[in-house]
Amino acid sequence: MNLARQYWRGLANGKKIIGYTFLWSFFLWIAAPFFIIFLKSLGRNWFGKRWLPPELTLDWYRWAVTVANIPRVLSNTLIIAALAVAVSTLIALPTGWALGRRRVPGKELLTSIILLPRMIPPIAYALGIAQIFYRLRLVDTHLGVAIAHVAVCAPYAILVLSSTFEALDERVLEASAVCGASHLRTFFHVTLPLVLPGILSSIIFTFTTSYNEFTLTLMTYGPHTMTLPVRTYLAVGEGYWEVTSAMSIILVIPSLLVLFMIQRQVEPEKLVGGFKGV
Amino acid sequence: MPEWMIELADISKRYGNTLANDHINLRILKGELMTLLGPSGCGKTTTLRCITGQVIPDEGRVFIDSIDVTDIPTHRRELGMVFQNFALFPHMSVYDNVGFPLMIRGLPQEKRHELVLETLRLIRMEGYAQQYPRQLSGGQQQRVGLARALAYHPKVLLLDEPLSNLDAKLREEMRFEIRDLISRLGITAVYVTHDQAEALAIADRVAVMNAGRIEQIGTPDEIYQSPRSRFVADFIGLSNFVRGRVVSLQQGYAIVQADDLQPRPAVRPAHDGERGEGLLVPAEEGIQEGQELLVFIRPNDVNLLPIGSERARNTYTGQIHKLTYLGDKIDYRVLVGEGVHIRVQTDGKVRFHEGEEVKVQLPESCCRVIKE
Repeated sequence: MNLARQYWRGLANGKKIIGYTFLWSFFLWIAAPFFIIFLKSLGRNWFGKRWLPPELTLDWYRWAVTVANIPRVLSNTLIIAALAVAVSTLIALPTGWALGRRRVPGKELLTSIILLPRMIPPIAYALGIAQIFYRLRLVDTHLGVAIAHVAVCAPYAILVLSSTFEALDERVLEASAVCGASHLRTFFHVTLPLVLPGILSSIIFTFTTSYNEFTLTLMTYGPHTMTLPVRTYLAVGEGYWEVTSAMSIILVIPSLLVLFMIQRQVEPEKLVGGFKGV
Repeated sequence: MPEWMIELADISKRYGNTLANDHINLRILKGELMTLLGPSGCGKTTTLRCITGQVIPDEGRVFIDSIDVTDIPTHRRELGMVFQNFALFPHMSVYDNVGFPLMIRGLPQEKRHELVLETLRLIRMEGYAQQYPRQLSGGQQQRVGLARALAYHPKVLLLDEPLSNLDAKLREEMRFEIRDLISRLGITAVYVTHDQAEALAIADRVAVMNAGRIEQIGTPDEIYQSPRSRFVADFIGLSNFVRGRVVSLQQGYAIVQADDLQPRPAVRPAHDGERGEGLLVPAEEGIQEGQELLVFIRPNDVNLLPIGSERARNTYTGQIHKLTYLGDKIDYRVLVGEGVHIRVQTDGKVRFHEGEEVKVQLPESCCRVIKE
């Protein structure tokens, strides 16, 4: 009997070992490229023959800031992201409210259609967008690129918000009215505090999506609206790996910051996985 | 002149094709606890929501404390309400939940503090002031809901199936706690429920509703003992119904010919020659000869007698079809006459067996007459 129990315990430990091995392998697989890029961005004359770069320098960052004009590129990226967030949220608020709280005929079909831009690779419709934008003279404008981003930003915003609004209990609002609060006061004391986390979550998601968007930017940008993802890509083509690495690190840092900030408030599983009931 | 706290005058409300409230007339006294009782879909919640203002009736007027509030929105009607799913504000602590109606009404901080603590003490939850609804059990949440409704001493308290989401034992405990609280505060209350035991246990008066109409209003005793329609008789407690025709009237009593209870002569010989005597039942005014009506009697009022017992009024021969042992009582189904099943519940002191022939007695004092 004891032998059997020991055997099972050993197996469980074995499972743990295997589990942890997989976990760490996976982590290394994801983290290693970042680590290498980080080192590359700080190293001089490092051509892969040794584990660590022989000399450390900030030259590449200096180059990125001065020659490649990264601050300007970064500000473009942020402006476009802010615009994309604004437009997406404006669209998503009423749409989410309707989907979450009203009986809409063909709701499932509508939801699928809303998700379509995220199911199809953006390159498929980016060209179409570019053609229309040329005619509307929206190419190389911050607003134009932002609107293009809305195609991929709005779907998730709508989904998150419809889930948030659906979770708002009608009875709680009734209770507020019975307690003596007018519609306006109910909105400020009850509705707003309850939906704010969902709205913030939607904003963060939209921001990150726009910030990282490449394909749609590629088709609608111009010299005045170069964004960081596009700039980094072009830098790869230029062949300066070290500067590219520096740009990549600059690109990644805001996203990491946001991730750490929201980690407590919003469960990352909810952002990536399903929305209802997760 | 009785003092009515709530008056519903000819309230009607339609949802699409359904008439949820059909000319409802209801008056509730000051300090009374009235229960609205009925099956799902009978319109009791709609009626309650007409009082709160969440539903605007298509026709009729609503009065609270003699004021016509029909056009006054919910938040200005000075009510307290307790919900089935508690409906506490999840983002506020117990203290803030209970203090919300006070805060909204602009009471000064000190007064609010005093009232919140007083109310928390009333529901015995002083220690939970800083907790959040998600940390509380169902019963605790409902108590907080009650506190929030009572905090500023409204004139009227409305309860919409407040205990339906709690388990049976807790329901029973809280039922009396609520009743006690309401009595102590002297507040007028309207309590909606589909649980008849609950309705009878706590109400001063009960309004039984069915399909948008009020079938009967009365004290629990009246509703139970003297139901005025088949629906009420059937909905409250257990009942037996026998159809018959009035053959004669005498001094507050009627003889009702109930053919179903008579055996067919060829099939089973009639014992004691009771055939032709008919049922003697108390009759109110307005009953006429030749009228078709229902005679109704509760199973625990029916007497079971051994087959050899002497002749008596309202007694019929039958056979025990089924019996169920319920612990403190025995439930019999007796086949009488033309296939009528009479349900009898006895205390079990005298026992009969399945298949045994017995006599079923329907004492005239326990029979009631219902016009169909």
